[in-house]
Amino acid sequence: MLLAAAPAAAGSFAYVTNQSSSDVSVLDIDSRREVRRLPVDGNPAGIAVSPAFDAFYTVSPETKTVRRFSLASCALLAEARLPGGPLGVATAPRAGLVFVSDWYNARVFVLDAQDLSRIGELETGSAPAGLVVAADGSWLASADRDSNQVSIFELPAGTLRARVTVGERPFGIAEDPQGRIHAANVGSNDISIIDPLTATVTATVPVGERPYGIAFAGGQAFATDQYADTVSVYRLSDFNRTETLEVGEAPEGIDVTPDGSMIVLANWFSNTVSLIDPASLDVVGEIGTGDGPRAVGRFIHEFPKGDVPCQEAPSSQ
Amino acid sequence: MRPLRFILLAILCLIPATVSAHGPTRQKITLSTEVAAPPDEVWAAIGNFQDMSWHPAVFSTTGEGGNEIDATRVLTLGEEGGPTISEVLYKYSDEKRSYSYRITAVEVSVLPVTNYSSHLTVKPTDSGGSLIEWRGAFYRGYPNNDPPENLNDEAAIAAVTGVYKAGLDALGSRFEKTQ
Repeated sequence: MLLAAAPAAAGSFAYVTNQSSSDVSVLDIDSRREVRRLPVDGNPAGIAVSPAFDAFYTVSPETKTVRRFSLASCALLAEARLPGGPLGVATAPRAGLVFVSDWYNARVFVLDAQDLSRIGELETGSAPAGLVVAADGSWLASADRDSNQVSIFELPAGTLRARVTVGERPFGIAEDPQGRIHAANVGSNDISIIDPLTATVTATVPVGERPYGIAFAGGQAFATDQYADTVSVYRLSDFNRTETLEVGEAPEGIDVTPDGSMIVLANWFSNTVSLIDPASLDVVGEIGTGDGPRAVGRFIHEFPKGDVPCQEAPSSQ
Repeated sequence: MRPLRFILLAILCLIPATVSAHGPTRQKITLSTEVAAPPDEVWAAIGNFQDMSWHPAVFSTTGEGGNEIDATRVLTLGEEGGPTISEVLYKYSDEKRSYSYRITAVEVSVLPVTNYSSHLTVKPTDSGGSLIEWRGAFYRGYPNNDPPENLNDEAAIAAVTGVYKAGLDALGSRFEKTQ
């Protein structure tokens, strides 16, 4: 049975929205190559992978379109047009819902996760951007950029729990492994740490210029600094900033592989993603993407070792 | 009262939300020109944040802070009393012959952009000359949905392209453009 004792390894793939070239780059993180360039109309920005739905969702602000694709095949499974200015997207697997922020109209659309039909709306502050759903499914939070606040809603009910004042102009938002909310304030160059139960800001971490997205690995947080071309690293134990890493130009969306072994971030100006080893804090690689990668949201999924998603169908007639 | 409420809502939707809002899709452009002059010579001419006299559209430059981070400058365009652009320096490297700056104040009638940032870099070429590269990232002038034609994405790209091209063409003439 020795032959059967192969390690239960997995391969991680990134689904990166390229806003300028209107497509999604599917990237093999281990082999560091692009396995598919999938056309997605309308300058997509928001992205949410959902293992529970076996899907990834994209939001194209120019055509106001939200789409659901198969993670494994990249097949388009559903799409819907929305009013306003749809931008960010997050999924709530237990509730069977998808949330999309409306940048222009101070609301979050509540959609059915399968057919993307509109179920309702939640009222936010002005210019809601990033969205995050708690890992345990108990809340949704939106970064209301022009109200300098984070709105927290109970799930699945959708009732407002609290509006929390944070720094200036929060855009990106994420939940750390301890269940705290991190909101990246592009105006005040810091991260607000929120306890979602008490709805209070418990810490504020200064980072680099124009922080955009946040991801977590190895007890640390990694925040992209869009104007500084860096990633700021701070400890989750005491919120002290420990490192500043040089990456590509205009870094934006950032995520971690499910096994925690690699941080991946999109460099909007450079048309690449940078790979950071969270153990050594070294930038260990780069992969080319389409034009203007943003990857606003969660964008990495893991497949069993050897599986490669989204292969082009063989062209046989 | 329903019709009145509807009308008020419709009017509210027409008012630009706030000064910090911006369009949905950030734009970027890169223009460059190659010249025969060595990088140090070109950098000596354009590497001072406080002196943009090398650009034909700039009438005068006034500012504070030299080439230190957070230095500011005000460009007056065209003629004395002409329109102005206020900018702040956020990266500067003599070694890399590169600086990065943002616009802090400009009327969209002067340059139809918001949230504008830019990088100017002089790189050595294999032949001993210089590659002058000018890159910009910005949103269109109209912050809300469905922009008018003069403030849409295309207008923003065309305007910034025009500024860069005029500057690089002037440098091409001055330092012997090679391609």
